[in-house]
Amino acid sequence: MSDGLILLFSVLVFPGGLFALALGLLIKGVDRRVAARLQRRVGPPLLQPVFDLIKLSRKETMIPAQSSAAIFRWAPLAGFSCMVLAAAMIPINGVYRPSPELGDLLTLFYLLAVPAVVLMLAGSASGSPFGAIGFSREMSIMLAYEGPVLLALLSVAIRVGVGEGHLISLSLTEIVQYQRVHGPFILDPWMWPAMLTFLCFFPANLGVLPFDIPEAETEVLEGPLLEYSGPSLGLFKMMSAVKCVVVLGLGITLFLPNGPDGVLGLLLFAVKCTVLAVLGVTVVRTGMGRMRIDQAFRFFLKWPLALGIASLAIMLARS
Amino acid sequence: MNAQIPSLLSRLSTKSPWLYRINAGSCNGCDVELATTAIIPRYDVERLGCQYCGSPKHADIVLITGPLTVRVKDKVLRLYQEIPDPKVTVAVGVCPISGGVFRDSYAIAGPLDQYIPIDVNVPGCPPRPQAIIEGIAKAIAVWQTRI
Amino acid sequence: MSFFLPVLLRNLLKGPSTEAFPFGEAITPKKLRARISFDPDSCALCRVCARICPAGAIQFEKKPDGLEFNLWHNACVFCGLCALYCESEGLHSTNDWHLSHLQSEKYDLVERATVKFQKCTKCGKQKMPAPLPLMAKLYPGLPADEIERLRAMCPQCRKAETAPAEGEPS
Repeated sequence: MSDGLILLFSVLVFPGGLFALALGLLIKGVDRRVAARLQRRVGPPLLQPVFDLIKLSRKETMIPAQSSAAIFRWAPLAGFSCMVLAAAMIPINGVYRPSPELGDLLTLFYLLAVPAVVLMLAGSASGSPFGAIGFSREMSIMLAYEGPVLLALLSVAIRVGVGEGHLISLSLTEIVQYQRVHGPFILDPWMWPAMLTFLCFFPANLGVLPFDIPEAETEVLEGPLLEYSGPSLGLFKMMSAVKCVVVLGLGITLFLPNGPDGVLGLLLFAVKCTVLAVLGVTVVRTGMGRMRIDQAFRFFLKWPLALGIASLAIMLARS
Repeated sequence: MNAQIPSLLSRLSTKSPWLYRINAGSCNGCDVELATTAIIPRYDVERLGCQYCGSPKHADIVLITGPLTVRVKDKVLRLYQEIPDPKVTVAVGVCPISGGVFRDSYAIAGPLDQYIPIDVNVPGCPPRPQAIIEGIAKAIAVWQTRI
Repeated sequence: MSFFLPVLLRNLLKGPSTEAFPFGEAITPKKLRARISFDPDSCALCRVCARICPAGAIQFEKKPDGLEFNLWHNACVFCGLCALYCESEGLHSTNDWHLSHLQSEKYDLVERATVKFQKCTKCGKQKMPAPLPLMAKLYPGLPADEIERLRAMCPQCRKAETAPAEGEPS
């Protein structure tokens, strides 16, 4: 098989595309089920997100008269395809190693911003005032969390780069390799500030409580998603499922990629993603209420930013 | 085989009815009972795959409460048009069904079925949460014939 | 957040507190006010219920041989006033709440019964029925066969029957 075909396979089937979608939907199902248990409810079946997608594919798509139809129609597809591409960039220890053509940590970081941009586009293209409010909120919260997270990513990159003998290492494969040799970063107290920053980033990027401010259904009626229906809403749901895998996978790559080779390693990756989703997303979202946009903004510019700067300073001082 | 796949898909689709509630001038009693079905662990409506959504464009089963007051009539009709097909309408409480204690008032435009095709009625003032869940289960059965 | 963690943990350990309904039986309190039941044999045709009903769910219709009682459950607000004011105990609140129905059955959800006029056994005039629970309240302490006899009479004849003779203490 040629390299191009392998690349296509890794983007469309494994670990991007189908695999990431399946894992993402499973994680969403586990998330809903565990959230129900934490509230003493029974909760939906584990495959509920799949049923939701099947249902959405059979509904009618409505395009509002006052929207700009082209952007409205294509925005979800753009977001989904970017996330599929990003999923192919996440290395799975002992199973999959992304080819260097796909890009590095910084490319992934920028791809992670695409869903937020797509939501903004969708919100403004829908021509609804709620979409516009969602747009502005999405923009503010993205501005708030991007900075601290970039600092956390950079401190990991510098740590690995210095360890490997050059200044900075942006290759995800190299980060995994370094931790295979020197032990995972989760056991290193000097890396904990970066890890905490990253934990704050999960709920904000995945758009769940307490940071689901742009899509708050009780305030702005799901904001940018307000006007979407049927298959195009399903695309957004698929995008968020794959994004879930990408963000969780990135966290695992950065701090705890170790594991056995082969099928066992793949299973361990799925288990790690699920556990991280339960601890970092489900427990947080069931235990907290929604913040206001100014509170969230201030929160990110206070704690995660301070932690990010601290961890970068630690890395620079230790190198 | 080819005929089986769509029927399987439609059966799976019925496991995910998203609910949307319209308050057509209700006293809020029925709305509280509707919220109860989702929030109180005792009547967890999410077991049926239901989920209350904020936008009419995401809805499958529309729950309408209230006697349809004159002032809210046009807005309710507009909101109803925004809901994509196939949809099922449930009238919750006696007000949308018959007008309840507000029947024959000058401020009431209802009963609702003069303007909107209703599929399932759940009478009560307000109906118990269990009765609402029973009505939703009936609505899902109706919905299966449409999707 | 940290305040909620013990609560969440406790919830997780206690397990769901969800009722089995709709997959099993629902818990229904005995005294729940829901569907109204009507017993035509215990109706005195006083029509207090139709007067008192705040939703106008109870209506009487004239028929050649009596009055037809109509209660539309789709208008009933479960207030229970009719059952409270019904002296002859013909109306009761039951705890049957399974009232949800398809639109096609909307106008079938009616409690309907014709209460027939009766003939006085003494004067032969047409009269309203006098149900047993009401008579038992009106003539406490009377033997059952005596009540049965009085029941079959019109009010005038009954008055004449039960009026004390002149000079007797009432």
